[in-house]
Amino acid sequence: MSLFTPRRVGHMSPGGSAITYLLLIVWAAFVIFPIYWLVITSFKSVNDVNSGPVFLPFIDFQPSLHAWRDLLIEDWADTSRSYINSIIIALASTALSVLIGSMAAYALARVTYAPRLSTVLAFVLCMAAVLVATMAYGVDWRLAGAVAVALFVLMVRGLGNRIAGRLGNGDILFWMISQRILAPVVVVVPIYMMFQSVGLLDTHIAIILTYAVINLPIVVWLMYDFFASIPRDLEESAQLDGATMFTVFREVVLPLSKPGLAATTLLVMILAWNEYLLALFLSTADAQTMPILVAAMNAGERGILWWTMSAVIVVMILPVLALAVVLQRFISKGILVGAVKG
Amino acid sequence: MATAKRIEIREMDKHYGAFHAVKSLSLTVEPGEFLVLLGPSGCGKSTALRMIAGLEEITGGQVLLGDRDVTHVLPKYRDIAMVFQSYALYPHKTVAENIGFPLKIAGKTKAEQDAAVADAAAQVQLGELLGRYPRELSGGQRQRVALARAIIRRPAAFLMDEPLSNLDAKLRGFMRAELKRMQKDLGVTTIYVTHDQIEAMTLAHRVAIMRDGVLQQLGTPKEVYRDPANMFVAGFMGSPPMNFVAGNATGAGVKVGDRALSLEGVRVREGTHVSVGFRPEDAELAAPDDTADLVAEVFIAEMTGDETLVTLTAPDGGHIIVRAPPDIEIEDGARVGLRIDPAKRYYFETDSGKRLRADD
Repeated sequence: MSLFTPRRVGHMSPGGSAITYLLLIVWAAFVIFPIYWLVITSFKSVNDVNSGPVFLPFIDFQPSLHAWRDLLIEDWADTSRSYINSIIIALASTALSVLIGSMAAYALARVTYAPRLSTVLAFVLCMAAVLVATMAYGVDWRLAGAVAVALFVLMVRGLGNRIAGRLGNGDILFWMISQRILAPVVVVVPIYMMFQSVGLLDTHIAIILTYAVINLPIVVWLMYDFFASIPRDLEESAQLDGATMFTVFREVVLPLSKPGLAATTLLVMILAWNEYLLALFLSTADAQTMPILVAAMNAGERGILWWTMSAVIVVMILPVLALAVVLQRFISKGILVGAVKG
Repeated sequence: MATAKRIEIREMDKHYGAFHAVKSLSLTVEPGEFLVLLGPSGCGKSTALRMIAGLEEITGGQVLLGDRDVTHVLPKYRDIAMVFQSYALYPHKTVAENIGFPLKIAGKTKAEQDAAVADAAAQVQLGELLGRYPRELSGGQRQRVALARAIIRRPAAFLMDEPLSNLDAKLRGFMRAELKRMQKDLGVTTIYVTHDQIEAMTLAHRVAIMRDGVLQQLGTPKEVYRDPANMFVAGFMGSPPMNFVAGNATGAGVKVGDRALSLEGVRVREGTHVSVGFRPEDAELAAPDDTADLVAEVFIAEMTGDETLVTLTAPDGGHIIVRAPPDIEIEDGARVGLRIDPAKRYYFETDSGKRLRADD
């Protein structure tokens, strides 16, 4: 192991650093190659793609702009619409889920909740009863609701004496995370029917709301750990200095959780940006997002348009790359902060 | 500037589930007084302080600040400043922003804030460091920032939770003196929590000693040192603390090993387990002959500079520490006699720790 033992602090032996750099270069090449392949494929002619692999532009093959011409000029209306849709949906849904999720996470990290198990049970039962009554038996929802409220009050008092258990913050947190464990494919049909009944299919708002909801558990989960790691003393000190809970959140907690917020935002935005299944159900033309556009190129009557598809994907990963570069300094700092505080 | 206010605690209780952390604590801190809550870790002193601050819910009893009942008042409306053991400085704010934070919250103008910050910083000698961040400061400097943030608002009371315990010994002594001077100059009612009895002795006007959530004794440092209410207080105060030797009461006195110590007028039923206490400075080494009050074996002698602390193994197996002159020559394992000043002996019931007095 002496090859890797530093001679002095911060100085690796020449052999050690050579091997280290070699390994890193191999790994970097491995990671970067797909992106490289994507970029050169977008510049390849149809023949170059079909007649076997060619690797180096100007040497192996003559770059051609035909795919980019198709994308940016001929199909521009389609491409740009999807692009703008994707940007609007990713930004809005991320903003919504990070805003709501971080506030929920802060509340869970700092306020002790102890709802009675009996109350939660009564609520679930009454909700189920209302749904069954209105859906299956055609009862007027106002009537069902009124009966349910009355029933709920009676049940809370009755069950409260029999079931003593209470739920804690940990249970609430797990319940939220469990919503994400559920595969979206299970709920995609109900969600489709829900938006159909309110006439919001193929609109931004339907997809934004859906994405915000499915990403909320991830935000709560990640931000909870960040908030919990902030020393309580800081918040208590601010309270004694006259700050309200909201001021404490704005002046003390938020600035200290920047790394966590940056990492969470990036992750959630990438998830929203790449999401395919729900977008496929919820959009047809007007609200179509980039993943749908890419997938559509797979199914044209002209066969798979590898070149155009590559160009679209290059365009698609650019904003994510830019975002990652912007947020990276927060994220690496965030990892370190977490490590030190254990 | 708010004038110093009296803090009154009436039968304050704290339960955490089945655990009774603070048991019916009653205290009155006079305006401008420096009161130290002293006790071992887990005795409920910090919990009591946090209840006074409003950071911890009060299970039972009342807290009054001045004439106002603040038992159920939120911390931000109590007009109290607190210094935390961790200092609780905001890492993303500069020293000036940290100190000025209470005024910013209060909605003071930037000019007012700057003037007050400069003033408070000057009082704790932080003038040149205002632009720095907490991570760029030493422990002592951070401590000063925390103090400046506490004094800038001129609160009705200061609460301090072991503020000096993260400093090294030398700096701690220095900051202790500064703190005492500052409290005197500002005249703000202060409650200070510590487990360090030297801090308590040097800082306090009065000391409240707690154990297992119960107040043991409240008095001036001199009173709790000279006239401890029970064995716990006697054993907690002093460095080194009071020595105890366990024995049994007989008609004549307390039988300890083969010797009998006179009871000096304390009446106690024969056969009672009695512990005799004496301070390290109230006994002297002598020859192990019949005139000695106790005979013991030298365990170790430690020269500290101006004196030698001699640790002895007592007849009951416990250790006794005696202050001796620095130039004393003594062998480990030697048998020595001990003469204990009869006027400075304390008697306790061994089992309950209750103090036995001559007039009881």
